[in-house]
Amino acid sequence: MLDQLSDLVDHARGRASYAEARRVHTRSEDVSVLDDRCEAVTAAETDGIGVRVAVEGGWGFAATRDTSDAGARRALARAIEIAAAAPKGTPPPRAPLAPDPPGGHWESRWERDPFALSPQARLELLLIATQAMGSDDRIVRRWGGLSARRMTTAFASTEGVAHTQTVTECGGGIQAIAIADGELVVRSYPTAHGGAIAQAGLEHIEALALGANAARVAEEALALLSAPVCPERTTTLVLHPEQVALQVHESIGHALELDRILLGEASYAGTSWVAVDDLGSLRYGSEALNVTADATVPGGLGTFGWDDEGVPAARTPLIVDGVLRATLSDRQSAATIGLDVSGGCARADGFARQPIVRMTNVNLEPGDGGTLDDLIAGTERGIYMETNRSWSIDDRRLQFQFGCELGREIVDGELRGLLRNPSYAGITPRFWGSLDAVGSQANWTLWGLTNCGKGEPGQMMAVSHGTAPARFRDVQVGIA
Amino acid sequence: MSNGFDAAALARQALAFCEGDAHVTVTHERSLLSRFARSRPTQATDVDDTDVDILCLADGVPGWATTNGLDEDALRECARRARASAEAAARLGTEEPMSLAPPAAYRTHDGWDAETAQLDARVAGEALATIFEVVETGGLEAFGVWTAGEVTTAIATSAGVTAVDRVTDAAVKVVARDDEGRSGWGAGAGSAIGDLDPVDVAVRALAAAPRDPALSLEPGEYPVVLAPDAVGELLEFLGQTALNGLLHAEGRGALSGALGTRVAAPSINLADSPRYIRTLPRAFDADGTPKAPIALIQDGIANAVVHDRRSAARAGDGAVSTGHAIAPGGAPSGPHATNLVLGGGGASGIAELCKPIERGLFVTRLWYVNVVDGRRSLLTGTTRDGTYMIENGRVSRPVKDVRFTDSVLRILSATEALTATQRLVCDLQFYRRRFASGVVCPALRAHSFRVTGQTV
Repeated sequence: MLDQLSDLVDHARGRASYAEARRVHTRSEDVSVLDDRCEAVTAAETDGIGVRVAVEGGWGFAATRDTSDAGARRALARAIEIAAAAPKGTPPPRAPLAPDPPGGHWESRWERDPFALSPQARLELLLIATQAMGSDDRIVRRWGGLSARRMTTAFASTEGVAHTQTVTECGGGIQAIAIADGELVVRSYPTAHGGAIAQAGLEHIEALALGANAARVAEEALALLSAPVCPERTTTLVLHPEQVALQVHESIGHALELDRILLGEASYAGTSWVAVDDLGSLRYGSEALNVTADATVPGGLGTFGWDDEGVPAARTPLIVDGVLRATLSDRQSAATIGLDVSGGCARADGFARQPIVRMTNVNLEPGDGGTLDDLIAGTERGIYMETNRSWSIDDRRLQFQFGCELGREIVDGELRGLLRNPSYAGITPRFWGSLDAVGSQANWTLWGLTNCGKGEPGQMMAVSHGTAPARFRDVQVGIA
Repeated sequence: MSNGFDAAALARQALAFCEGDAHVTVTHERSLLSRFARSRPTQATDVDDTDVDILCLADGVPGWATTNGLDEDALRECARRARASAEAAARLGTEEPMSLAPPAAYRTHDGWDAETAQLDARVAGEALATIFEVVETGGLEAFGVWTAGEVTTAIATSAGVTAVDRVTDAAVKVVARDDEGRSGWGAGAGSAIGDLDPVDVAVRALAAAPRDPALSLEPGEYPVVLAPDAVGELLEFLGQTALNGLLHAEGRGALSGALGTRVAAPSINLADSPRYIRTLPRAFDADGTPKAPIALIQDGIANAVVHDRRSAARAGDGAVSTGHAIAPGGAPSGPHATNLVLGGGGASGIAELCKPIERGLFVTRLWYVNVVDGRRSLLTGTTRDGTYMIENGRVSRPVKDVRFTDSVLRILSATEALTATQRLVCDLQFYRRRFASGVVCPALRAHSFRVTGQTV
């Protein structure tokens, strides 16, 4: 496979100042159960080649499912054609690769192959969970889903880079939806939006213990139906790590994508409230805020051997003691602001999309706040929220509003009754400036998000965020 | 046939490898998309890909498999996996056994254009150069995208359905932006490149871009004029939260229990109309069920929701597919109205809509809209690329982008007037396989729009 790609980019020499080719083979299986019946069993397999070239100052990218040598060369010709047809500009700079980039093969870790478990066995695992949710008529949907995906990528470029890597991901979740007296509530475990996915094997699915948590999920859904609505006030907010992960994703991760900062995404994903000149001086949050982009941490959905420009995986502190230190970059954006190396954040959604700046694993580093119970015990009055239900943030990643599935009052250091439809809103630097405690290492977990959308044509990317529970002061809650 | 590729023959070939009841869909995409930022081309993407999706039924229970390998081995393996998926699913049984859609005559349409199907990269290059030139006349920079695509869909089923639909689409969008970050928006879309006018789109983006410092606006309820792009976004979410027959059947929809009642102002007439002028037409849905117009809200009264075969079976009570499947056999998320049309009113334009408003808000478009409470069609999102005060009956000073948290049905109930002119609004996102769709709608004036926050 690598020989084919190396031959292909060799054909670009003389016609393009740079060329890279990726061949991506993806296999996936998804099963879901609704109530006590199968909702869906799907199996998918795709294979294709994407070629990106730089010609006369412009980029061109072409993708084809035709993986024959002739098909790949036709794609190369199309990439050159569309690059040449664009209005002429200045040749895009690219940060250099390290001399003699290492090649070889990289593979994500797993203990037991998730594809070894038959669809039938996966359905039965889910059925145990949905049946454990009970038979109360107010629960209108008892849902469970499991996913597995394996993606093998081969990469070669005219700069002599050649390597292969294989990523295996799996996971799942369960959800109960209850309706009564015109109210609809949702309760999910372990996360919303399809469940907890990780680079792992069957051991991860088993550790989720979906069946063991199903009855609690249903009970909480039913209890939420009659819970009071989250009151509107400014108060202390304690967040479950899963919601902290989405908060990091939306208000830190996207805001620090260097292509957005340089206005490259202004027409779609948006820009950023952060400017290049802010590097090294901008106070992004309190001293408790330490954020790292880490493509090397095992288990993360943003973990790899090389990014999709051939840059080796890196671990980069982004925010240190609340001060901005670095951004997420690819070779082009890094060179644009004069960096010596790319941040290694160029990622593409399959063979038919070109690499753009994406998050890897953007992690909130653990603090010294102890456990979730410790954070609550140290809170006189406030609101606790967990499991994301809705999310929205403006195109500069500055003003946001999030809703959660479940809230609880905190009174004198103790959790009290449930609150329905809890929500909160804020302005990014003020919100992170109000961060006064982050849970400790023992309470720190990677949370996978598989639906991060960006780019045109649209690209879905899987990323993870390592987080612990966190506490914020003076937050506006009950907004929606 | 499209460029020598016979999707129908491939569908028939794959069907021959299937055991038992089966439905094969072949989707062939050829597309071109050119992005630009700061008045320079940035990315250009050319895609040529084909999906073969196979649905097999085992005891009335479906299982699915997909491949983009088109050789005999790949098709056989895909058919085998689909059958294995169905057999695994069937072990859990079903109360609502599925059957394949019967053959039915479908009408052709004019949604395919030979010039567009050429996907000539030089046309994209010329459009970008034109946009850069126009936006530069206003001293601003251009950001955006130009795209065109051709998608051929062929279905072959063991129930005897053989169907082929070819569509083309083309779209352009422009954000004109100054150094201070003030921006304006223009967009156009249609079935053909000839429907696009890059000069007009760039001029509209320039016109929408504020030139003065923006005011702050306190949270509260304001009279509002929503331009078509903002209206289209709201209606797209109404489709998800209220018009989805699966959610409706499960009591999760915003129209659950409300059919036959007033849910909007009498001036609101909303339909799904697959051959309406300016829409992106389609001949049949993912099940092969012919597309046909359906009135959803008539004179403000909720009339119907849309169904695929799966949601209709779940709804019972005589419900049938209305031709809105977005995946063979019905997607787990339910059916979707892909050709929404909101009828126009009598206003001659934005200026006339603004006239009665003493102090209100003009919104060009919305951004990052998400559902807060689907059962109430309650959404939140922000404004973007051209938000202004309306003062003394005229669009006046620019306003910093605001956050809204409001119900689509509440806004439609508060609607007082609509423009006669409608526009096709497309989101152009194209995640996964290209499926161009959009909402044809006018601008509207509502007496109340709930602003809940503001950026700084």
